[in-house]
Amino acid sequence: MGAGGGGNDVQWCFSQVKGAIDDDVAEADIISTVEFNHSGELLATGDKGGRVVIFQQETENKSQPQCRSEYNVYSTFQSHEPEFDYLKSLEIEEKINKIRWLPQKNAAQFLLSTNDKTIKLWKISERDKRPEGYNLKEEDGRYRDAATITTLRVPVFRPMDLMVEASPRRVFVNGHTYHINSISVNSDNETYLSADDLRINLWHLEITDRSFNVVDIKPANMEELTEVITAAEFHPHQCNTFVYSSSKGTIRLCDMRASALCDKHSKLFEEPEDPSNRSFFSEIISSISDVKFSHNGRYMMTRDYLSVKIWDLNMENRPVETYQVHEYLRSKLCSLYENDCIFDKFECCWNGNDSVVMTGSYNNFFRMLDRSQRRDVTLEASRESCKARQVLKPRRVCAGGKRKKDEISVDSLDFNKKILHTAWHPQENIIAVATTNNLYIFQEKVN
Amino acid sequence: MDVEAKRIMALSISKLYSLRTQRGGLSLHRGLLLSMTMRAARDIYHTAQLLRDAEEEQVVPCVPDAAIEELMEISKDSPQTSTPKEVAMKPQEPKETLEDDKENRCASERHSRKRRCKTAVEPDFLPLKEAKMDTDEEKQHLQGEVLRTNNGNSCRQAETLTAFPTNRAIVAC
Repeated sequence: MGAGGGGNDVQWCFSQVKGAIDDDVAEADIISTVEFNHSGELLATGDKGGRVVIFQQETENKSQPQCRSEYNVYSTFQSHEPEFDYLKSLEIEEKINKIRWLPQKNAAQFLLSTNDKTIKLWKISERDKRPEGYNLKEEDGRYRDAATITTLRVPVFRPMDLMVEASPRRVFVNGHTYHINSISVNSDNETYLSADDLRINLWHLEITDRSFNVVDIKPANMEELTEVITAAEFHPHQCNTFVYSSSKGTIRLCDMRASALCDKHSKLFEEPEDPSNRSFFSEIISSISDVKFSHNGRYMMTRDYLSVKIWDLNMENRPVETYQVHEYLRSKLCSLYENDCIFDKFECCWNGNDSVVMTGSYNNFFRMLDRSQRRDVTLEASRESCKARQVLKPRRVCAGGKRKKDEISVDSLDFNKKILHTAWHPQENIIAVATTNNLYIFQEKVN
Repeated sequence: MDVEAKRIMALSISKLYSLRTQRGGLSLHRGLLLSMTMRAARDIYHTAQLLRDAEEEQVVPCVPDAAIEELMEISKDSPQTSTPKEVAMKPQEPKETLEDDKENRCASERHSRKRRCKTAVEPDFLPLKEAKMDTDEEKQHLQGEVLRTNNGNSCRQAETLTAFPTNRAIVAC
């Protein structure tokens, strides 16, 4: 089954869809983040209502190799509640912005979830046994009459129906004035960073009452503000290195060994703007919505409104690869500004061996960009292709001129159907694609 | 081009206006992008306007058309009505501007409203009180101790979410 090979040799087929079927979407059910854990056995989603749903991959059915393991609900819990900041007369949304799993150290699983202001560390543990046969208590918990106790018996653990419990172990509050956009667990498994529009804080997983501010780009006079931090991530192996992207399309790599305060970057990744593409909306579309290191730590990928760029960490002046996600939208930027779609923040992800990257688009389309074969394909997450193991057909968008059969014209695209969040299993060719309120799971076709 | 610029400018201003009422508080990122786009459009529009005025100056005395005037009023309104959000920082100003809002109905008085940017309006007798409020608010807000080696250098005084450069953008209108 390999570590996630070429996106175009791979044929993707439908596996499962989670979530309500009807088109009337409740705001609270809108999926806001998707993340596999380090083994790929667990898949977590967060939604606008502040809930986290974790799916678990069932152990494979050896007798039916065609039937790939499915993901079923493992745990559901309310992570964040709406709050009100009385001091500023502002409501704090309960929407889960990001979920990040901690590497597993013992039987329990841990994840960090964050809304705009507060980060929480959740412990998810299983209970499949319970003690029975207490000497002093009845089975329902009531104490027995002491006079009736004549013998001694020791309680024994007996199996019970599996119960998965989620409990908040740490709550990291008051670290951020602005809206948190990213969290990232360090490879040292002791610290993590959180980033808002203007600042990045370093936390210790055990310490909740203080954090260390490592980046602060707030200007002395807010009227001089020209850029904000849009995403941040720790290097997968180097615990001293992290990157953060900006609304101006730049990425800064910081080394915490250089100084305690990393306002001065170690590397600045920036591609000069193409003057022929200049428009009123150049600023907006160059804003980076996501930044992700490759698993091997040699590259990083950035997503802006129209493209995906792969950067070699050793080359700052331009990306090594650029892929157009939906270039046909360039001529529609004004309409997209009107309907606010131009502000949509698309995420991107790598496959297990860093050979293919994936990102979402509109009309429930998502794009697989094969780096090794320099090919790309557009697929769709739709209810129409929901038959078990149905192979997904490549989709094509007609930018202009005569529309071919099976092509869809740009004007027919549904801009309300957007895929912002996608995730790729760390080892296998299994992907999770979130439409507005549904989670689609696609797997590689097994012959 | 300038028609387009004007449209984008108007669109940006109305989006900035509605940004304040969004649930979850004002998004600094979105506000920044909107104000940058608005300024780019405004610059193009004004350049075109100036060129047009220069061409037409001997024909008709320049009369601002109704749409532009409405635009100016909207853009002048937004900094005022956004100040109520800066409650913690400047308790006096929101009261002033809200009162102004109610009292000044006619267009000419709106034009005469002097507030353009924060610094222009601060009355002389207030600064001391504001400085004190800033520190208190800061201490209250940052319950979790934030350790920094570079102590207080990056101006934590004005922790207001609305303080992005719309004010500067509107000044030149």
